[in-house]
Amino acid sequence: MTSLVDRYVFTALRRIPEQQRADIDRELRASIEDAVDARVDSGETREAAVESALTELGDPERLADRYAGRPAFLIGPDLFPLWRRLLTTLLWTVLPIVVTVGVVAQILDDPEIGKIIGGAVTGLITVGAHLCFWVTLVFAIIERTGAGKADISARWSLKDLPKYEAHRATLGQLISGVVWATLLIAGLVLQQFTFTDVPVLDPANWAFWWPVLIALLVLRIFYHVWVHRVGGWTRAVAVVNAVLTVAYTVPLVWLLATDRFFNPEFHGFLDVEGADVRSWLSGILVAVLVVGGLWDIVTTAWRAERARRGLPTKIPGTGGYHY
Amino acid sequence: MDATLAGHLQELRRGTVVVASLTVLRTPGYGYSLLETLSRAGFEVEANTLYPLLRRLEAQGLLTSEWNTDEARPRKFYRTTEQGETIAETLRGEWKRLDTAIGDLSTGSDPISSDPVNSDPVSSDSISSDPINSDLGSDQ
Repeated sequence: MTSLVDRYVFTALRRIPEQQRADIDRELRASIEDAVDARVDSGETREAAVESALTELGDPERLADRYAGRPAFLIGPDLFPLWRRLLTTLLWTVLPIVVTVGVVAQILDDPEIGKIIGGAVTGLITVGAHLCFWVTLVFAIIERTGAGKADISARWSLKDLPKYEAHRATLGQLISGVVWATLLIAGLVLQQFTFTDVPVLDPANWAFWWPVLIALLVLRIFYHVWVHRVGGWTRAVAVVNAVLTVAYTVPLVWLLATDRFFNPEFHGFLDVEGADVRSWLSGILVAVLVVGGLWDIVTTAWRAERARRGLPTKIPGTGGYHY
Repeated sequence: MDATLAGHLQELRRGTVVVASLTVLRTPGYGYSLLETLSRAGFEVEANTLYPLLRRLEAQGLLTSEWNTDEARPRKFYRTTEQGETIAETLRGEWKRLDTAIGDLSTGSDPISSDPVNSDPVSSDSISSDPINSDLGSDQ
């Protein structure tokens, strides 16, 4: 039969490195016996003295941690801020990509709403759990071994301070917006005549949709000039942007979905082992248009709302570990 | 006791056990005897903190140990090394300096605050040099 003291010492020693065990074993037993003797001398029964001495010594695993000098935490205050920043950055960048790719693949494979939502939720939880687990594991290992800890918990300096957007629309935004729209118009017109022998896009749409698209892109150019002259992101800008974006996204998606976007006479798509590259490409374009359009509408509205409240908007890619 | 006060007291007392142990162990002693001495002297220290602390100080070379098997119960006796004594001396000096500085602050506050010209340099100086915080920072 093992005594209480034996059980206590065994439990503590289990979590102590082998080479220290014998010495701590002897010392701990002597200390416990000393404490018990002192209590017996002051009138307690031996049994009660053992119980109270061990109770005072407390949780043996905690004692073992202290003997072994192990931290009683997973990630300490040195690494915690970096861990939090890295994890939030990863979750915000990886999860949207995973969900988007998953949804597009599901749409192409079997566009049933239940499967699409189910797949998105499953992907979100699975990938999210993996990210949290592996990042935390790596940080816990760094915390315990100390390897590379000095490098990654580098001192904060002014260089790590984020930059914030001016509430004004910049000249760069004006130029890139105008150039982009101009290139799209040029591309739409030129593909009819020059790039390939047979036009890539359906020439039948010149009767209505392509001129409409060109008109919308011209409006887009005017929009960029207008934003620049207004000088910033206002509610009016957000609304006009949303209307314009919806105006060209909806017809394009409809053309793609009903197979009226590409020229049926054009057979220049890569032949990948008999796969229907054209419908794949259509699916991907639909996803890009929908996600990109939503992104544009939301970020512009977000910018306008923050500008209205006078709140600063951080420029992505600035500020230390932020991306 | 008020939880806020308890927290601040704990912060303040952290580290005093090291000075006290290094000072007491100039004459060799074992774990339980040191625990008794310290609690009689008014240091609130628990066995499960003190015993691992002794081994840590030994690993740092501030204490040395020897098993005494002369008596019926073998005991591990710790003794402060030369290096430990040097460090204890420095720590006691720092303790005295802090005690004096805090004493000066509390007794000297009245005449200084009545003199607005003098009060600014003194208070800003004592804050900017900040020996307390920088020591705590390097300790952790």
